[in-house]
Amino acid sequence: MTPLNLFLLLSALLFSIGLAGALTRRNAILVLIGIELMLNAANINLIAFWRFGPNPEALTGVMFAIFSISVAAAEAAVGLAIILAVYRHNKTTNLNQIDTLKG
Amino acid sequence: MTPLPYLQFLHASLPQVALDVAALIVLFTDLAIRKKSLRLRFSVATAIASAGCIVAIVLLLTAHSQVNLFDGMFVTTILSAHVQVAILALTIVTLVLSIDSSFTEHVGEFVVLVLLAVTGMMFLVSARNILITFVSLELLSLALYSLTGFDKRRPQSAEAALKYFLFGGISAAFLLYGFTLLYGIANSTNYAQIGAAVGASGLTPLVVVAMVTSIIGFGFKVAAAPLQFWAPDVYQAAPNPVAGFIGSSSKVASFFAFFVLMTSCYGAVGGSAAWENVHAGWVPVVAVVAALSMIVGNLGALAQSGLRRLLAYSAIAHAGYMLVAVVAHGADSLGTLLYYVTTYSVSVLGSFAVIHVVEESEGSDQLIHFNGLSRRAPLLSMCLFVFLLSQAGIPPLAGFFGKFFLFAAALRGADGSGLVWLVVLALAMSAVSLYYYLQVLKRVYVSEPPEIRGRLRTPRQMLTVIVLLAVVVVLAGALPETLVRWFGMIV
Repeated sequence: MTPLNLFLLLSALLFSIGLAGALTRRNAILVLIGIELMLNAANINLIAFWRFGPNPEALTGVMFAIFSISVAAAEAAVGLAIILAVYRHNKTTNLNQIDTLKG
Repeated sequence: MTPLPYLQFLHASLPQVALDVAALIVLFTDLAIRKKSLRLRFSVATAIASAGCIVAIVLLLTAHSQVNLFDGMFVTTILSAHVQVAILALTIVTLVLSIDSSFTEHVGEFVVLVLLAVTGMMFLVSARNILITFVSLELLSLALYSLTGFDKRRPQSAEAALKYFLFGGISAAFLLYGFTLLYGIANSTNYAQIGAAVGASGLTPLVVVAMVTSIIGFGFKVAAAPLQFWAPDVYQAAPNPVAGFIGSSSKVASFFAFFVLMTSCYGAVGGSAAWENVHAGWVPVVAVVAALSMIVGNLGALAQSGLRRLLAYSAIAHAGYMLVAVVAHGADSLGTLLYYVTTYSVSVLGSFAVIHVVEESEGSDQLIHFNGLSRRAPLLSMCLFVFLLSQAGIPPLAGFFGKFFLFAAALRGADGSGLVWLVVLALAMSAVSLYYYLQVLKRVYVSEPPEIRGRLRTPRQMLTVIVLLAVVVVLAGALPETLVRWFGMIV
């Protein structure tokens, strides 16, 4: 098995763990952590494809990874702010108890 | 190494620069007048922001150069300029409709977030590169999440923002994961090169995963089933102008980007969704998503007791109709899709403006508050009549021609006459939709008002804009060819 395949397997595993966490956890912050894992799986892909790709001099993969890391940081900031706003009203971050909107 | 054409980029992206300069001016002006009344602050901020949008529109309409910079990262064509003009026009209307809002004290921040979201949409429309597509989509999404939760006094607003954010975060992660696989396949982030590489590799497992994740990412943005769960909550609980904004401008940009992404990156692995002649590819997947959206949206709308949720479910249904154009992806599909999504956006924005007036006076959007509206506000009811019937697709309004062109283009199709089943389903579901639109209008025109209530107070500039929107819907229906031709150019 080539190193690229190993890295892709690792990232697929990380993505699945993140998705499973995001879908099964009931705490909003833990869901956010799951989402971050999924985004980081994508970063591993980028770096692996860049390192083992035909022309690593181009640095496209690295640039993409830097952008995606900063986007993930921005997303975490917005997400935590929203979770804080919900917490101020409901005094909880448990998603099962945040259920006034239905239908 | 050749020097990068930064000056040319600055020149070509002047419309976006104008928006961001306007955003900064709004922020500082609002800081200076923060002690004044809310209405004055909203008026000033809206005036500055609209001026920025108008400058951007003028710049877009006068620039005739077609640019392709940085390996497809920034591409301007006549068509993308026209789409951007439509987005900006809808934004101006959204801003004017928010003047009488009282949901926030942070006027400057609100208007700035709207302008940043629009900047994201403009870059999204001009991106032919997955890196820029992802970054601009996130700029748009993050601004929309914050806007949804902008009403800090109401817990529902924060709850809707949380749901929107969590669903959005997961789908953005899917989209990014798929994009990284595309980069791995093509070793490039340019749409054209990815399209060539995907065509060379065929339908390998890697391409399938990338394809499905792209559909998940954009399916969320356009609120297509089964990724629609956020839509009813966001439409119900977001501040009214924000709900209108999410339902209009953001739809236009997302649908355009989705169409371009699918046809240029995955052009070679389309497959076919024709009845009894299905070939694997993204087309059958999108066809199933479209069919599901029509069914879920139209049947869900039947059970609603609030007009905002009803519009949310009908938005899911309309996303289904519009995906039919993506499924067909023929030569004229994009033009008809843009005609449909623009005219639909106008009528959604108008409907939300009417809801806003009713909410200000009655305190909620429950359908019962619309009883006897025609006696209390005849002109407003007339406009709501036009908006809802246009969404239902009654001739001679714009919605009818939208559906007509869309379905006709789908029947011609890219590969002959395979999509009859999808069009038949869409027509049947349109008939269902007529029922719930008419239910609302029956309350407005036939039901008696619950008690003797006076005339409804409608702010003058609000009424002007609503009437203007209704006139646009009627005119776009009366002269459909003009608008179609405006959008009808090849990408």
